[in-house]
Amino acid sequence: MKSVDTPKPWLRGVLEPCLLALLVEGETYGYELGVRLEAAGLGKVPGGSLYPALLRMEKQALVRADWRAGDGGPGRKYYALTDAGRRVVGEQAHEWLVFAETVGGVLRPHATTPTASTGGASS
Amino acid sequence: MMTNTTWLAALDAELSARGVATGDRAAAIVETESFITDTAENAFEHFGTPAAYATELAAALGCNQRPEVPLDARVVLDARQVDVAYRRNEVLRDVSVTVRAGTLTALIGPNGAGKSTLLRVLAGVQRPDQGRVERHGSVGYSPQSGGLDDHLEAEQHFRLFGAARGLSGSQAEADGRRLAEQLVWKCEGAGIAGDLSGGTQQKLRVVTAMIGEPDVLLLDEPYQGMDASGAARFWDLVSDWVERGGAAVISSHDPGVLSRAHEVLELEANLRSAA
Repeated sequence: MKSVDTPKPWLRGVLEPCLLALLVEGETYGYELGVRLEAAGLGKVPGGSLYPALLRMEKQALVRADWRAGDGGPGRKYYALTDAGRRVVGEQAHEWLVFAETVGGVLRPHATTPTASTGGASS
Repeated sequence: MMTNTTWLAALDAELSARGVATGDRAAAIVETESFITDTAENAFEHFGTPAAYATELAAALGCNQRPEVPLDARVVLDARQVDVAYRRNEVLRDVSVTVRAGTLTALIGPNGAGKSTLLRVLAGVQRPDQGRVERHGSVGYSPQSGGLDDHLEAEQHFRLFGAARGLSGSQAEADGRRLAEQLVWKCEGAGIAGDLSGGTQQKLRVVTAMIGEPDVLLLDEPYQGMDASGAARFWDLVSDWVERGGAAVISSHDPGVLSRAHEVLELEANLRSAA
């Protein structure tokens, strides 16, 4: 399936739970998380959204950061889930699924496939 | 287009302007740089403007949201590489500060770090041993002590300081009374300065510094000794001043000053004595 960039306001809502979920598999650094989000189909996640999200979670002690020397380049900040983060992942995943279901119920009857709309051809 | 190096330097300045601590700032710069290296793309593509990204990071860090300060706001005071020593005791070494219109600069540091000395140098009442100070406009200075004539009443001070800024006597008195009132001080008939309490003298110093709206205010521990309501109103006065485009440099021990400041200058104590 083609990866489409997730609209910014939506990304704001889902980015943090998604990052937590990815970190369940083990610690990693920001760029790598971005690559994995894109591979998962969320599209290109700009660093400008990625790092503030990580920073917010670090402030809330959901993740913990650890600096490692980069190979040749500048140092890298590795992120790992804390115990609190591990607890929160499940809760947030559940909340999101319930929410998505609800929103789906409202929107589903009105959904059209994007390719169907080719307006603006008249003149 | 901006190079990544320029972009990162601008980000550092913008983070600093938002009061992000040095450590957090360095971490953000290194991490951003590392990301740019990994993606091999332009910083702007991913992070937008340095100012916007700095605002985002500062919010994520829980820094108090400071009002946006355009880095091109008019410079009203610029001190470069100022050194001051008393005998062989170095008090200030290589201190530089740029004060822009519409900003509050907090001057912090322990006792003896040279806060008062720096303010005197900025005000032009003391010459630095090295370095230079450029003033682009008028200066209102409120020292920590002194600066008043013990034998004069408040209104006489207003006239004196007002005259220095080109105000007529009645204008100066009206201006002074209004400012005093804002600091919860009824100055009419309060008697001569020498008989006022420490906190009230402090109010008088602040008022005289503000009369005639100089371009930059230099206030040394201004609310020391003021009652709580006076101190609270003092901060209202300063916020209003800065919002209207005035500049202020305020020295304080109070960490509360940090949350209001656009810029923070921290002076260190105990510089080694010059051998």
